[in-house]
Formats: sequence, C-alpha cells, structure tokens
Amino acid sequence: MQGTPKHLIACHECDLLIERVVNQPDQDVVCPRCHARLYYTTLNSIERLLALSIAGLILFIPANLFPILSLHVFGQSQSEIILQSALSLYEGGLEVVALLILLFAIVVPLIQLIALFYISFTLHYRWEGRLLRQAMHSYQHLRGWGMLEIFLLGVLISIIKLKDIADLEIGLGLYSLAALIIVITLSGIFFNPHQIWHQIDLHRKQSRFYD
Amino acid sequence: MTDSPTAFRSARDSGYLLCSDCEKLHYLSQEGLHCDRCGARLHSRITNSMNISWACLIASILLFLPANLLPIMTFKTFGQGEPSTILGGVLHLLEEDMLIIGLVVLTASIVVPVLKMIALTILLCTVQFGLQTNLRQKTMMFRIVEWIGRWSMLDIFVIGILVALVQLGSIAHIEGNHGATAFAIVVLLTMFSAIAFDTRLIWDNGISDCPPDSTDHKDDQ
Repeated sequence: MQGTPKHLIACHECDLLIERVVNQPDQDVVCPRCHARLYYTTLNSIERLLALSIAGLILFIPANLFPILSLHVFGQSQSEIILQSALSLYEGGLEVVALLILLFAIVVPLIQLIALFYISFTLHYRWEGRLLRQAMHSYQHLRGWGMLEIFLLGVLISIIKLKDIADLEIGLGLYSLAALIIVITLSGIFFNPHQIWHQIDLHRKQSRFYD
Repeated sequence: MTDSPTAFRSARDSGYLLCSDCEKLHYLSQEGLHCDRCGARLHSRITNSMNISWACLIASILLFLPANLLPIMTFKTFGQGEPSTILGGVLHLLEEDMLIIGLVVLTASIVVPVLKMIALTILLCTVQFGLQTNLRQKTMMFRIVEWIGRWSMLDIFVIGILVALVQLGSIAHIEGNHGATAFAIVVLLTMFSAIAFDTRLIWDNGISDCPPDSTDHKDDQ
C-alpha cells in the first residue's frame, strides 16, 4: 500500500492539484481556482459533537412524542405530532409524500444523530469502533436530506394559515423541535470531515497495533 | 518538496484521484479499487454523472407540469370546498393580505424549483458543449442551487401538517391530492440531479478562465 505524496492535495470541486499549506486554526484554506473550502481546523470537534449528539438524541424524544400544535374548533380538538403528518397522508392515499415526510423529518435526522453519537463516542473514548467507516458514510451521504428546519417553517406557515379559522395552541413538541434544529445545525458546523477521517485513520492504526 | 504543481493542472492530469468520500489522494492507477482509509470505491469522476444528471433533470421538468396543474390539497368546510393548486394557494394567501407568507410559499414552491432547473440546464450544457466562460460563477451557482433546492419541500410539509391537524369530520377537513405527489417527486429528482452532477467536469475542458498565481490562501508563508 504505497502512499501518495503527503504534500499534495486536490480540490474536491474542480480537481485542481495543489500543494498543502499549513493553516492557522482560524484560517480556511481555499481553492485558488474555484474558491471551494478545502480544509480547516475545528477545535475540540469530537468533544463538541459528542455533547451535541447526546443533546440531540435527548431532544429527539419530546420533539416526536409531544404535540407540535393543537387545534380547537367548536369544542373539538386535534393535535399533531410529526409522525401524524406522515400517517394522515398515508391514510389519504398519498403514500409517496407520506414516505418522504417520514424519511426527511424523522428517519434521516435520527440516523444522523445516532451516527454522530457513535463516531464521537468511539473516537473520544477510544473504543474499538468496527462501524466507524459505515457511520461516517451514512452521516456524510445523508447531509442535506434531514429537513427539520424546513418542517419548522412549514409549521409556522400552517399557524398563520389557520389562525383566523381556529384556536391554535403551541405544544411542547414545537419548542423541543426548535431546540433540536439548533443542535443539529451546530453539529453540522462542527462536523469537520477531513479531521474526523484523519482521526479514524489514526484510531484504526493504533487499535491494529494493540491487537 | 519545492516542485509545486505549475499553473493549473487537475489531479487527474497529474496521475492522481481524490476519494469522493474522505478526500484522500490516491494514484489514478488505483481507480476501481477501494480507498484504504474509508473503504469507498475510488473514481476519478462520478460514474455516469452526465447521464444520470440529465435524466433526473428532464424527468423533473416533465413532472413539473402535473405538479402545477393538478390540485395539491382540498379544504372542505361543512362539505363545501374546492381543490387548490400550488399557484392557487399562493394567490389565495395574497388575496387574504398575507403578503409575506404568500411570497415565501411562492419562492419555495415555484421560483426556487424553476431557477434550479434553469441552473442545472446551464451547468449540464456547459459540460456537454465544453463552454469555457464564467466557470467560477457557474461553480458558485451550483453551490447555491444545491443548498437552496431542498427548501422546495416546504409546501409538502405544510400539506402534511394541515392534513394531520384539520381532521374535524364534517365541520372542516383538509385532504391531500396527487399534485403533491408529483411536486414531491419533482423536488426529489432535482436533488438527485444535483447530487449526480460532478462539478469537476466543468473544469475538465482544458483552459481555465482565471490567471494562475491568484492564490487565495492568506496563510501562505
């Protein structure tokens, strides 16, 4: 397994071959041709991700179990949790739309949080981590497919659409959802793929050494 | 260590390839093998990038018609109510003086998908016909389009929430219609088209449109 020259890197967006430069922690290295961000340093990346993924997994529970909104008209009331959107559409015959909502608003964010927790936990506590590569691939390929922030905007629009027609009550689920979105967004910012892949590489070499 | 790659040469022209998943540099001869760091299969460019991207884009443009012509939902109060289309919903909001919300929905449901389709068409034509102008701007356009496209799902989520919430029997209820399915698939296909598109193909046609040595990293010492 011969190594490629360590001082060379290529831009992932335009494939320009350039020489690696040493960057300060607060400086991004940018491709001179297409201006893509090539690599950067995130301080305490793993520890921050560990804290955020635990917070996210905890917040995921109330965000999905408590009602987001409740509606009261003529003594009747109806409340909605995220899953209810998918179920109602499924019952109404829109199976494809129901499946997409289920995936984008529940399944993808959950898988990403679990993957992130697994990655940061195994790297921080130096566990064996047989599934580290799979967890990284899942997280990276699912980026952009978790759409909770769009769901939240949808909730706000629904509130405005319905506020003249009925009494609406904002539930605990909506506050949890907002907090969950903040946590997920922050974890996306602190997720530094280059650094983590490098750490996984070191981690695997070390554990092979101890075998 | 000082033999810096002169001017602008792509990794592929210099005999290297970049792992698409972990961005480790490999030799071009390792194409088709697996990356020793992350295990992904090594490809110099996304396989069948142009075919998949074109196919998804054309399919999404075709589906955009039923998505806008078919009703997306029906609001019934006391047994009365008509199905509404995407544009109908926006106009209704504007009539009711909900200007900002109307504009948000208009942007997410119509402006963004249309702009995304136009942008992808421009990008695919750039590669297809080997155009050499404004490559940096086109790359920037792709980044914006890729990021903003997912917001088109907004209307789909609104339908989901309204359908779940307004289920009050004969007093009022909202049901979804198949225009929503078409629209959701349009958004999905444009996202697939953007994922399949390989930005490196834009730069592959030789000459680049900006001078060498315009290095942007301030940390060069």
